[in-house]
Amino acid sequence: MNRQLNGISPVRRKIGVFWILLMGSFLTIGQTSHTISGTITDHANGETLFGASVFLSGTSIGGITNEYGFYSITAPEGDYVLHISYMGYTDINQNIHLDQDLKQDIEISEFATELNEVDVIAEEPEKVLLRKPEMSVLKMNVGTVKQIPVVLGEVDVLKSLQMLPGVTNNGEGSGGFHVRGGAQDQNLVLLDEAIIYNTSHMFGFFSVFNADAIKDLKLYKGGIPARFGGRVSSVLDIRQKDGNSKKFALTGGIGAISSRLTAEGPMFGNKGSFLVAGRRSYIDLFLKAAGEENSAMFYDLNLKTNYSINANNRLFLSGYFGRDGFELGQTFTSSYGNASGNLRWNHIFNDRLFSNLSAIVSRYDYDLNLDFEKFEWISSINNYNLKYDFKYYLNDVFTLDFGASGLFYEFDPGQIQPTSETSSINPLSLDQKRAFESGLYINAEHKLTDRLTAQYGLRYSAFSRLGGQPISNYENGLPVVYNSRLGIYERGRVMGETQYSNSESIKSFNNLEPRVSLAYLLNENASLKAGFSRAAQYIHLLSNTSSVTPLDVWTPSGPFIKPQLSNQYALGYFQDFKDKKYSLEVEGYYKTVDNRIDYIDGSELIGQNTIETEILNGEMRAYGLELLLRKNEGKLTGWITYTLSKSEQRTLGGSAGGPGINNGDWYNTFFDRTHDISVTGTYAFNDQWSVGGNMVFQTGRPVTYPNGQYEYEGMSIASYSARNSDRLPAYHRMDASLTYRPKKYETKRFKGEWVLSVYNLYHRKNAASISFAQNFETGANEATRTAIFGILPSITYNFKF
Amino acid sequence: MKTLIKLYIPLILFLLVSCQDVIDVELQSGPERLVVEASLDWEKGTSGQKQTIRLTKSSAYFTTNSVEEVQGALVTVTNTNTGDSFTFEDQNNGNYVATNFQPIIGNSYALRIENGGQVYSATETMTSVAEITDIFQTRDDGFSDTDLEVHVVFTDPEVEGNNYLLRFQKQGDLLPLFENAEDEFVNGNEIDWWFEIEEDEVDGLEPFQPGDVVSIEMYGISRGYYDYIKILIDQMDGAGLFSSTPVPVRGNCVNETNPEDYAYGYFRLTEVNHATYTFTED
Repeated sequence: MNRQLNGISPVRRKIGVFWILLMGSFLTIGQTSHTISGTITDHANGETLFGASVFLSGTSIGGITNEYGFYSITAPEGDYVLHISYMGYTDINQNIHLDQDLKQDIEISEFATELNEVDVIAEEPEKVLLRKPEMSVLKMNVGTVKQIPVVLGEVDVLKSLQMLPGVTNNGEGSGGFHVRGGAQDQNLVLLDEAIIYNTSHMFGFFSVFNADAIKDLKLYKGGIPARFGGRVSSVLDIRQKDGNSKKFALTGGIGAISSRLTAEGPMFGNKGSFLVAGRRSYIDLFLKAAGEENSAMFYDLNLKTNYSINANNRLFLSGYFGRDGFELGQTFTSSYGNASGNLRWNHIFNDRLFSNLSAIVSRYDYDLNLDFEKFEWISSINNYNLKYDFKYYLNDVFTLDFGASGLFYEFDPGQIQPTSETSSINPLSLDQKRAFESGLYINAEHKLTDRLTAQYGLRYSAFSRLGGQPISNYENGLPVVYNSRLGIYERGRVMGETQYSNSESIKSFNNLEPRVSLAYLLNENASLKAGFSRAAQYIHLLSNTSSVTPLDVWTPSGPFIKPQLSNQYALGYFQDFKDKKYSLEVEGYYKTVDNRIDYIDGSELIGQNTIETEILNGEMRAYGLELLLRKNEGKLTGWITYTLSKSEQRTLGGSAGGPGINNGDWYNTFFDRTHDISVTGTYAFNDQWSVGGNMVFQTGRPVTYPNGQYEYEGMSIASYSARNSDRLPAYHRMDASLTYRPKKYETKRFKGEWVLSVYNLYHRKNAASISFAQNFETGANEATRTAIFGILPSITYNFKF
Repeated sequence: MKTLIKLYIPLILFLLVSCQDVIDVELQSGPERLVVEASLDWEKGTSGQKQTIRLTKSSAYFTTNSVEEVQGALVTVTNTNTGDSFTFEDQNNGNYVATNFQPIIGNSYALRIENGGQVYSATETMTSVAEITDIFQTRDDGFSDTDLEVHVVFTDPEVEGNNYLLRFQKQGDLLPLFENAEDEFVNGNEIDWWFEIEEDEVDGLEPFQPGDVVSIEMYGISRGYYDYIKILIDQMDGAGLFSSTPVPVRGNCVNETNPEDYAYGYFRLTEVNHATYTFTED
């Protein structure tokens, strides 16, 4: 046996194992079985519920509803009790006599009205799903997100995720987030399946997701299902609400920074619904009123509508449009934002085969208008995506996901246009880039024994950098060369260029990405899970600063930039205590990423047509241990997390020669955090009053400080230590919130609440950066700390009717 | 222009919130190195025969001691095109002076320093600079519509690849301010370079006022020096949140005896325009 397998490559061997498992599962079909399928929805507003648990009582047969609320379970003929449970909803038990295939759409009701969650309820999907091999997944419903105190009362899904283990940001005032020591561009962020390239407003102070328009979110930190591809660290899958299909409703809020209003209601008779949500900041209005020339604003618009053609066909149309605008006097204006749209068609072929076809567009762009220099700078990325996904509920032990996708990219890294006749700037357009990424996947969830469940799948991804642009040719094929005399990396010598036509492919890549995880139920309250996943990423965000900014541009892989490839191994232990009141999750992971771009000293990324002359290909590795203890029920709910982790990168000289960046030594990434502790809690006193609190402690961000100075040009010049070998002081703060729901609204349709929150309660001046320079007046060297948020109280009023 | 785009984000961030204060920080201590300030600058209209090279030592970042000057070194510069050699005499204060130097645009020069048993060397080409054709003042250009700015006008040569270093020092100010420029987006154009000082209470910067005198130097520099000084200028006012990661900057002075023990500083040969401008009431 071993001798025979030796000749087969490891990948082929994995495929072999996969097929053996897959075929095995078909053999279990035999006795007379029937299928119950349908959709689980909220009784009050008709929203489909993702992740509701549907089980046949007294058996282990059952499942979880998919993104569209659909479930399908297959069991031998007989009489059963169908048990449905979902976070904060009343359980439903329904007797069924299974002697034929059944269609059963079920509505379930919330315990209490949403703004009146007193005996705070067990939140099922946030609790440990012991049997499911799914691990390294964080799920939150918007109700939880809304209870966490935040900066200036702006409910923020991304900030809430950062309270969970393995997720950090790069400090206040930096956009995006980091998952398990991965970089920001390694997260795939999807809003109704559309890629969102920039997740923050105001350079990271607020997220682009309006919580009123969002149904749920799921963050895959590892064990990424085979249906997702294109990023190596994580997938954040955010779904918008479908809109209330029962009655017209308005939700809104008035806060210190912005106001929001959401309207939703039935449409197309009773065959559909819509949702329109808007949010706008009004900092600019205050600034203008104060006579300030400078201003800043942002807004969002979320749209969703759906239409049921019949029981088996449903269409969804969703859209998002958000933008930031800045003005500095009359001389400097800028705006940037995302726009996306998705048309989906849910089709149920039969009670076991569910499908969804999506056509998605998304775009991110920015423009800068520098009036004093008389030019405008614009840049964008567009993509068009078609995907077809299937879910096949084969039998009570086996579910299969499979599908295909194609993604076309257009990158416009930058154009300069003079805005006046007298401008001394020449018009210029950096080369536009095009690429096509495709994926094919198959994934099985397979209950091997009563205690052991496996999820195994394979994704095949291919990427082609398309022509229509010239590519520079370098001496010896090297865009970067090491000058061994001076000990520095320099740009290679251009020997000419090759023009590729639109129909040509400049460079192609393909990868097989196996994804496997196992769950073993130790007893009714505990399970052990293990997983491995490989992922490929073909596009890269260029940033040589510690914080990613909205002006950074994406670039595709090609002749000089290889795709990033990650391997992640994870092991976890999960346990429920005291009748599921408490749950504990412990996970360890080890992750490597090949071909991580790194930047040579003095790299110039702005307006750079030949990115390859500024970079080298390096690698990353990260490992850590995560602990999460939650209290799910009672007057006090919340969680405590602790993460111990390390994230490093290294870039060797490779074919460019020389030792590499930072002398070829491993160095801490900007987002390496040795210790990360957070505590979040909510306490409900009674129907009217509740309080919430957060505490956060993190090891300081790695930074580079001077290790000496010298005199040059009459100035004191700092000489710097090895890259990221110092750290900012530890980051910590505490926040609190108080919520009051006036009694008079209790019986009325109109509900209102006041939320008073205080961010950074003890006013710690957490350093966002410490910079070193000479004092202009005294000439002395000084370390200057920039702290962003001191103590910040705010008040918000929310309503719903 | 690239610098302007880089400036944009910190400016906006500053506008929104944030507070700055000076704090104490403990630092690592790096190796002591020789510092070579070999700036052979030929002012237009002069003979350029008198040139000074300054040798000092690097020190701890937060030190109150005065700079350690290097004495007793042997310093020579050779024109490798003509073979002429110029000896720089030790002035016993860290300065080494030659009075017979002959600058020739486009020629290559080699620097050799012998100090404490170590030999340092560097090579560089003398680079020309375009003439300043006009200097004037305005208020409504620049970042601020109310602050005064000075304009330096010159015509970039047709040939691509010209690099500039501009140095501005207001009379009475302790320190100069530097800007670097290349002709990448403006090749062959008449360039109107404005310079304004943004008020900054933390750093003690004050905008120009009528009556202020500003001294302006505009150097023509090599690409190698441009790459070097660009990083230095970027790092001069500190590395904030949205700045590139600061790096140990290496110049062109190589230690032939022990390459690891390289010197800070640079051996540059430039042609320079010197001008002063007095701001008037407008």
